[in-house]
Amino acid sequence: MAPSIEYYCPCLAESPHPPPPHLPSSSYSFHPLHNLFFCEECDAVRCNRCVLVEVSGYYCPNCLFEVPSASVRAEKNRCARNCFMCPNCRNTLTVVPSDPPDDGDSRTSPIVANTLGEAPFFLYCNHCRWDSAEVGIIFEKPTGLAAQLQKFEDSAPESLEFERLKEHFEPFLRASSSSALPSAAAAHHVHTNPITAAASSALARDIPGVGKYNPLARSRVGRDKHAHRHELPDYKARVEIAGAAALSGEADVEFLRHLETASEVAALEQRWTNSWVTSLRESDLKPLRIPLQSKKSKRCPSCRHILIKPEQKAQSVRFKIKLVAANYLPAIAVTLPHAQAALEMMKRSSNLGKSTSAAAAAEEQQAAGSLIAGHSYSFHLAFTNPLYDPIQIRLAKAVPAQAEGSDAEKTRRNTFHVQLPSTAFPVAAFAEAWEYDDDEEEMFGLDDDGMEIVDTRGKKSKDGRGKTRSVGIVERRANVTVVSGEVLIPKEARGDVKFNMLVSYTYRSDDPEPTEETEMGTPSRTHLTTKAPEMKNFSFYTVVDLGTIMYREEPKVIADL
Amino acid sequence: MSAVPTTPRRHHHESTTPAATPQTTRVASSHIVQASPHYQTTRRHSLYGTEDRVILDPGSRIWKVGFSGEGKPRDVFLAESDTARSLWTLNRASNPADREEEDRVLEAKLQACLRSVFHNSLLTDPKSRKVILVEHPLLPLHIKEIMARVLFNNLQVPSISFASSHLLALLAAGRITGLVLDCGHLETTVLPVFSFRPLYPHLRTTPLAGARLSSHIKALLLMFGTYIPPATSLSAAANIPAASRSVRVPQDVLTDKVIDEIKTRCCFVGEPFDTDPSGARASSPSGGGGGDNSSELDLPPSDPALSESDFSRVSAEIESSFSSAHAASSSYSVVSHSQLAGMDASHGHGHAGESRVQALATMYGRHSTATDIHLRVDPPPAQQTGTGRGTLIIPGWVRERAAEVLFDGGDVDESSVAEVILDCLLKAPVDLRRTLASTILVVGGTPMLPGFIPRLQAELVRAVTRIAAHAAPPPPSRSGRPRPATYDRYAALRPLLPYFAILNNPLPRPPASTHAAANAGKAPAFTPATMAWVGGSLAGALKTGGQEVNREKWDEAEAQPGEADMAVDDAPPRAAPAKNILPDWTRTPLPVGAPPAPRPPPVTGAVEAAAPPALHAQSVAG
Repeated sequence: MAPSIEYYCPCLAESPHPPPPHLPSSSYSFHPLHNLFFCEECDAVRCNRCVLVEVSGYYCPNCLFEVPSASVRAEKNRCARNCFMCPNCRNTLTVVPSDPPDDGDSRTSPIVANTLGEAPFFLYCNHCRWDSAEVGIIFEKPTGLAAQLQKFEDSAPESLEFERLKEHFEPFLRASSSSALPSAAAAHHVHTNPITAAASSALARDIPGVGKYNPLARSRVGRDKHAHRHELPDYKARVEIAGAAALSGEADVEFLRHLETASEVAALEQRWTNSWVTSLRESDLKPLRIPLQSKKSKRCPSCRHILIKPEQKAQSVRFKIKLVAANYLPAIAVTLPHAQAALEMMKRSSNLGKSTSAAAAAEEQQAAGSLIAGHSYSFHLAFTNPLYDPIQIRLAKAVPAQAEGSDAEKTRRNTFHVQLPSTAFPVAAFAEAWEYDDDEEEMFGLDDDGMEIVDTRGKKSKDGRGKTRSVGIVERRANVTVVSGEVLIPKEARGDVKFNMLVSYTYRSDDPEPTEETEMGTPSRTHLTTKAPEMKNFSFYTVVDLGTIMYREEPKVIADL
Repeated sequence: MSAVPTTPRRHHHESTTPAATPQTTRVASSHIVQASPHYQTTRRHSLYGTEDRVILDPGSRIWKVGFSGEGKPRDVFLAESDTARSLWTLNRASNPADREEEDRVLEAKLQACLRSVFHNSLLTDPKSRKVILVEHPLLPLHIKEIMARVLFNNLQVPSISFASSHLLALLAAGRITGLVLDCGHLETTVLPVFSFRPLYPHLRTTPLAGARLSSHIKALLLMFGTYIPPATSLSAAANIPAASRSVRVPQDVLTDKVIDEIKTRCCFVGEPFDTDPSGARASSPSGGGGGDNSSELDLPPSDPALSESDFSRVSAEIESSFSSAHAASSSYSVVSHSQLAGMDASHGHGHAGESRVQALATMYGRHSTATDIHLRVDPPPAQQTGTGRGTLIIPGWVRERAAEVLFDGGDVDESSVAEVILDCLLKAPVDLRRTLASTILVVGGTPMLPGFIPRLQAELVRAVTRIAAHAAPPPPSRSGRPRPATYDRYAALRPLLPYFAILNNPLPRPPASTHAAANAGKAPAFTPATMAWVGGSLAGALKTGGQEVNREKWDEAEAQPGEADMAVDDAPPRAAPAKNILPDWTRTPLPVGAPPAPRPPPVTGAVEAAAPPALHAQSVAG
């Protein structure tokens, strides 16, 4: 596994310090940089677990139609046009006209036999060859299919039964608004007389089952029973389950008893939203309308400023506002030079024509890049500065602030020692020209800079192979600074080499050059620099995962291979 | 270029929704919405009226979510879709540090689920949606607290109503009185409801439920299933007959997902074994089945020590769920485990168990006409060398008889699904028994197995009638649990026999009484699994629902942790305010206006605290 780094968002915890990384729950507090937002007002990192999400528009992912909110509710978050999903494979269905020479024999529908044209249309799955004529769904015209199906959906048994139930209970509830329900019903029906409300709440307090223990209540229970009989007549279901048994009941048992393959039965996922007893058979599944998706804008949970807001149009993938953390925090990449070197060796050997199988090669790679107990390794942290100002970064290994009860466990886990560069180091400012910019600004001087990058990369790999064990700056180029740290793994160490690292950086805008920057910078960046003319400090926690410690035995075995 | 983060339109919107309490403005706007149903505005938060509530039915595994007033949930999903595990189990870590960690993980997972409900499933703004939480009566309070905390703090819903799932399910059946059996994943719970009131003190529960069924299927397949690995090459697939390749089922093949698929697509519940001439199952409903069978076939009982030690190989989960069954040594699950152990250990001890289970298998196999199923499964990761997928052969009788484990009671702690109903009836007030017995409602995911409910009806009748025949001395194998042979547990219920009726029985027997005739099979044809949700939707549409907690109240309580600390004995301080606010039937405070009960501070047991003084102390004890 490649070493990785994730950033801490303090939204879940009460303390500003991150949880110790060996706890499984800690993984929920750390996120990759590209998933994080940055709130300028609060000067804080925000993650997808804490931001407030608002829907800024609905659209169908298939036809990209922006659905007006008014019809979203009526259509139950489904596309109301021609978009359907295959019930078997969830592929998009296409509308096809019927083809008499092919279909005449197999389809029993009389319409097919009669018409030579394309009159009955049906939905067809290009992936699994399912078609809707199998379940008797055909259309007269190839457009507005959802509207044609709507009448079936409106008369769905569960919604009819539901309405009937509602009618059944409504008069009863109105009659005994608060007394019958021991719940917050009283709070709802504020229109009731306060005296009756008090009386009924006193009644509601009476604990059920009391009749058994109170000899006087025995008769009362009987009366109650009759009383409520009078109030609430027995419910006559529209479709009783015993009546529907022909559809399910015994038939299902018999069907399952003589089942040949499991795929004849619809999977649980295909029928679990049905609240009505339906057939178990996969062949009876109906086409699904494609669920809508939403464009979401996100707000900071504390100051409610917008962090990200997409453009309204469904086709657009741009954002009107985008305050992502990658524009504010330095990006960090972790590498293990010895693993990289090993990888390169491997590549070279395989290029030479060694006939090692892919699996073996992968294993070898893993072994070569692994951390073996009893050794010390250096690791490289490459910091990329996204700001237009140079920054000073200082690293610290986070000490777990709260001393937890399981001290013994902690000492056992924290056996490895990490050494980080103790002095602050600079990272040069980001300049548009040095890197490809996603805002599609003009890339002047692209060719020259490209050459330069290749050069520096070449240097860097040499350095990596050189295995400089020193702790400190390894390399500086453009807006990237690579520093080296060292981890010492004692022989008895186990588990993952994972530690929390506090990164604090100071940024200042000594020479802001405002005219030029407004020209080329993205809005957010400009905003930041203008807002922070003096020196500012920001720090955040990260978790560095260098990989799992391996034992000595394993590499030996692999070496023998 | 809109360099500033907030566009003018946004500012306008901001002003309409003040940060602190956006509720008032929203209420006002939604009234307008309600007035004109065909409104054309596109303000996003007026999409639904405030009266439309969000109904959440959060199970330990499967969640059902949707809007009130609709006949079916908008979305159903697995809470942990990647592993298909349950979010919580019946156990909690005993070590406080571990438990705290467990809670943190659970909170993170619940948060992910709840956020996804609003943002991905329902596509609605949580800040304007009241929530009805369908809560199982035995949902642990700490989980309820976590859910409330996420909903109030993270999603900022205006209010949460807690409604008992059993009551809601009954509503969906059009009733307000009845005995509701909820057979879910972790446990099966029976709760009588009388005239809208759940009679919580009479609640009865058993761990025989979906999770147990899954592990039982797994155990049976490890023993009796056959696995044909994929051929190593395409030519081999053509040349070597499948039979010669078939092996015993490797553990890794039977992942949770495969077991789930088998359970939901292949299994059903067969008729009770009354017709069996050997009378193995017919002898006794209260767990004598296994015992009688073994004595008749003259087989030694399984060796608990052996199975305990070897069974640990299978998986920690199964072991924990079955360890109590080992002690009883009377259910098939035990038998299968000892057998399993024998197979794995492959030494002499396993032999006895194997032959014994083999006898069971042949008995079931002889009487089962269910077909064997060939299921394509992914080969275990260690052996992914062949071509394509492997084949798992599931014997027909396993499909039919796997659910026997749920109907096979006799254990004091793990009564069968039928027994738990009878136990509950025994606890219920005498006056209500007849009514309750004739209005049994079966809900939950496990009763979705075809044939489950008719079988349950048959088991109920059998359990009550057959105890008379149980006068015979108990079989020798159960000497470990001394019990007077004449003990007739359900004698008191025998007069109820003609009244037993299951409301949602798809195959009601010809009724024995008018009472039963009026009820059996008369429920609307909603599926058992969604009934609680449908009831929640109904309650939301009727503007009732359980006890409501507002966000203001929650925020208030959270703002004053000092006071809450005093009231709570052992909980961590941050969980404290919830204790006072969330409705909990085990320690319901008396409503305002009631005479103050002269009671010591609530250090007594939870159940006792619930019952107001003299009168109800009996109800707890009885």
